[in-house]
Amino acid sequence: MSAPSFESQVLELLPRMRRFAIGLAGSSSDGDDLCQMTIERALTRRQQWQEGTRLDSWMYRIMRNIYIDEGRAATRRRETFVDEDAGLSVGSDGAQEAQVELSMVDRAMAMLPDDQREAVLLVMVEGYSYKEAAEIVGCPTGTLNSRLVRGRDALMKILEEAA
Amino acid sequence: MVTEEQLAAYADDQLAGEEKARVEEAIEVDPALNAKVEKHRALKTQLSAHFAPVLDEKVPDHLAAMLKTASEDMQADTAQVVSFAKERQKRGLAQSLRRWAPIAGPAMAACLVVAIIQPWQSASSIDGYADGELANVLDTQLTSTQSANPDQRILLSFEDADGEFCRAYQTGREGGIACRDDQGWAIERSFALEESQATEFRQAGSLSDIMAAAQEMAQGDALDAAAETKAKAQGWQK
Repeated sequence: MSAPSFESQVLELLPRMRRFAIGLAGSSSDGDDLCQMTIERALTRRQQWQEGTRLDSWMYRIMRNIYIDEGRAATRRRETFVDEDAGLSVGSDGAQEAQVELSMVDRAMAMLPDDQREAVLLVMVEGYSYKEAAEIVGCPTGTLNSRLVRGRDALMKILEEAA
Repeated sequence: MVTEEQLAAYADDQLAGEEKARVEEAIEVDPALNAKVEKHRALKTQLSAHFAPVLDEKVPDHLAAMLKTASEDMQADTAQVVSFAKERQKRGLAQSLRRWAPIAGPAMAACLVVAIIQPWQSASSIDGYADGELANVLDTQLTSTQSANPDQRILLSFEDADGEFCRAYQTGREGGIACRDDQGWAIERSFALEESQATEFRQAGSLSDIMAAAQEMAQGDALDAAAETKAKAQGWQK
């Protein structure tokens, strides 16, 4: 076989894309909507992706741009409806205590401004270096660094108070 | 003096050289700084553990379906497989396929997974020519007037590089492309078609594969209704 197709490479990234999307949007259902929009845009713009460059960074950039451009209002519209997936908790397994703790993290994340939340997710969850994360976001590394610090401090504060 | 940014960057292992050494020194003499680094690392562990389960979740079907290409469907088959998708992409065929789509509209309804098989494996092309009912359909059926869901379906008609009229067709679980020469309808391509519970994405991909095969052979556009009627009137020969 020749090199894997564009589609199969994106398919391989999909679990990670969902993780980032759910983290950004705050729930599974909104995250999957965001994923869908991201895949649609990626498929129509596939010519713009340069073979040999990192596809994951490219996909993440598309995703965060959609999220920021469309605004949280667009991706959160569904929350006004009753939706069994729209709970705050991402995890669905585990003991009751774990559930409480999990939804606490979700709640804390939801309280962050978008720019801090994406910095936190890209570095602390997705494992990108500051430089890579800054490139995805399209800001200087220093800016990314300070957003990250503010995001972290806010998270620590919220989680400590809740504990 | 160590900034908050440097401290977090140190915790994330993002510092190097002199800057890293400087933060390390500061941490050694200040337990408060060390505690802060530990807190940064603990938070990172907590967050990645929190979101990790998403990776193990089954990806929703509707998302995966958007990325299923015909070529991947076929990879599962043991049949000899030709990927048109790659070629199509390389040559930018998507544009021209769109131009063909209105003419092949009725074929859109078909859910086809296509595998290329050797002509001698196909029942309808034992001697290389269409016979009986298929020949009749190729002679008489027009894409513009055939019923919505015929057993024997003409997908589209076109002229090939030799100036022969060719028609892509589907009969039950087989499909192909036949071109009219002096002797009759020569089967140029054979496809094994498999009914499948396909999503619209798979349909489009599979249709595109047939279209790509036709496109490869065609000289110019597919025949429109008028051109097809005219070709039929002259017995599909020049």
